[in-house]
Amino acid sequence: MLAFAEQGMNGLMMGAIYALFALGMVLIYGVMHVLNFSHGVLFMAGAYVCQVIFAQLTGNYFVAILGSMLVLALVGCLLEKGIFQHLRGSLSMQIVASMGLIMIVQNSIIYFFGPLALHMRVETVESKIRLGPLSFTAQHFVIIGVALVAVVSLDLFLRHTRLGTALRATSQNLEAARVVGVNPDSIFLMTFALATALAALAGALLGPLFLISPAMGDLPLLKGLTAIVLGGMGSVPGAIVGGFLIGVLEAQATLVLPTDYRDAVVFAALIGILLFRPYGLFGKRERGEP
Amino acid sequence: MKSMKLLALVAAIILAALIPVLLPDQPYIVNTLTLTLCAIIPAIGLNLLYGQAGLLSLGHMAFTGVGGYTAALLMKNAGWALPEAMLAAAIVAGFAGLLVGIPCLRLRSHFFVIVTLGVGMILYTFFNNLDGITGGAQGLPGVPRPRPLSIGDFTIEFRTPRGFYWLALLTMLGTLFVQWLIARSPFGFSLDAIRQDETMAASRGVDVFAHKLAVFVISSAIAGVGGALSVTFLRVAAPTMFDLHASMNVVAIVLVGGPGYLAGPILGAFIFIALPEFLRVAAEFRLIVFGFVLVFIALFANRGLLGLADSVWSKMKRDRMADEAPGATRTVKSEG
Repeated sequence: MLAFAEQGMNGLMMGAIYALFALGMVLIYGVMHVLNFSHGVLFMAGAYVCQVIFAQLTGNYFVAILGSMLVLALVGCLLEKGIFQHLRGSLSMQIVASMGLIMIVQNSIIYFFGPLALHMRVETVESKIRLGPLSFTAQHFVIIGVALVAVVSLDLFLRHTRLGTALRATSQNLEAARVVGVNPDSIFLMTFALATALAALAGALLGPLFLISPAMGDLPLLKGLTAIVLGGMGSVPGAIVGGFLIGVLEAQATLVLPTDYRDAVVFAALIGILLFRPYGLFGKRERGEP
Repeated sequence: MKSMKLLALVAAIILAALIPVLLPDQPYIVNTLTLTLCAIIPAIGLNLLYGQAGLLSLGHMAFTGVGGYTAALLMKNAGWALPEAMLAAAIVAGFAGLLVGIPCLRLRSHFFVIVTLGVGMILYTFFNNLDGITGGAQGLPGVPRPRPLSIGDFTIEFRTPRGFYWLALLTMLGTLFVQWLIARSPFGFSLDAIRQDETMAASRGVDVFAHKLAVFVISSAIAGVGGALSVTFLRVAAPTMFDLHASMNVVAIVLVGGPGYLAGPILGAFIFIALPEFLRVAAEFRLIVFGFVLVFIALFANRGLLGLADSVWSKMKRDRMADEAPGATRTVKSEG
């Protein structure tokens, strides 16, 4: 029972990370129909930028997180303008470009920081919080809290601001949005910036708890992809629910199975669910599909 | 035109076969080329799947792994010879493709793509953790090299780099021939139709699911042959040979070379495996430059390099015809 509760907390925490990660991917997919497979290295780069700002510049973790989000948002703008805007509608070339980006970012990080993992010494990891017989690091609560704030404010932004409405309109029908005066180019740019900032946020949150390393984005990428497919490709609530489901599922799976099978369990569950709901949990059939 | 193409093909094959003879004291080059040949085979399988039928699999190397482990176990523990082990690898990998294909091929577009990624991950987990069968993370070392082949007094030795290179070349040409046969068969035309418009193909009486399943099984079997060849060459079957990075590499080989083109996997594998080996610069720097090359290809060559060459070629032809066209009209006018 204790282990169950402990893994429940770990699951919620990883679920929050996956949800933030998947949210970025699903925004880009929903608005631009681009699957950005390089989202994992942007997550990783976010953690490194956060580490640099934290250790070299301010020493304040939360300022470092904001700085990292800002830097990565700029990177996202560059990627959108330079690359992904031109690849809408070609899944295979999105994969090729993403592979190129993965090589560029990963090897640049290795070039500047070395291949070894780094420690991010934030005090919230050292301080423990006790809940009855259970004890967690304060970072657990920081992650869940910040993720909740981010998700809620994103929801408010999407539903109650002009820009958010324009973004949703673009994702529903590009042509109609253009007709009513939405400029798709600026919406695409904003979407990418928002999505990469979310990836940086997730990376900067998870970084202190584990080590930060050039390969730290690989698994979140797979889990993020699984989350948006599970949620139904393009559904924002689907991505959030999918992310949390995966986090909780893999944490509980470690109680029954050897840890090495954790990732296989997640994918087996994905295939199982898709057998019964081929368009994901919140997915709809796309127009023109039988 | 057709005989010219055939002549060029024969010349290319002879040149490829002569490389180890022309470079007798360069075992490094011969070994790198053998590795490239090993990589071409799964890429040919994926080219059938994606280039022909439009199904993109991001976990295809898992089937190469199934074939590789099958061959390694049979050759190491049961003492099978390579040809039989290769056949068994093809059958077992094809069967794995059948088991995976039946549930997964019902899914549409992006759902299928991501699920193949998951299948690759699941199979990799098994390779990495079923210590009793696959040897876990250490893999299965000590896969024997194929026995020499004797025809009368003449003996071909496969244990030397040169001998194995020829074996790999022959196997690769065999799978290339299968790809060619399928591409020009009615089955291949039906696959083309499915890739271009699934609904239209179905309305013309093509059993879409059966065709997809068949090409998935064939493509997995070809990948399995590649696995059998790789483990015999490297003398080990290890999980990292068949992980997601390997799968993404084979996808890149097909997409960069030119999906749907017979020679696409060959060009792609040369660019991806042989070229970086030969252009040895500092590792990270080389990979960063390579990343920029990939982005460049994505932006400017969306049908791969062969597709780019193709469109440049047909544009040149169109321009030439446009130059000749005014003359042709004049002749018609003067006759009228």
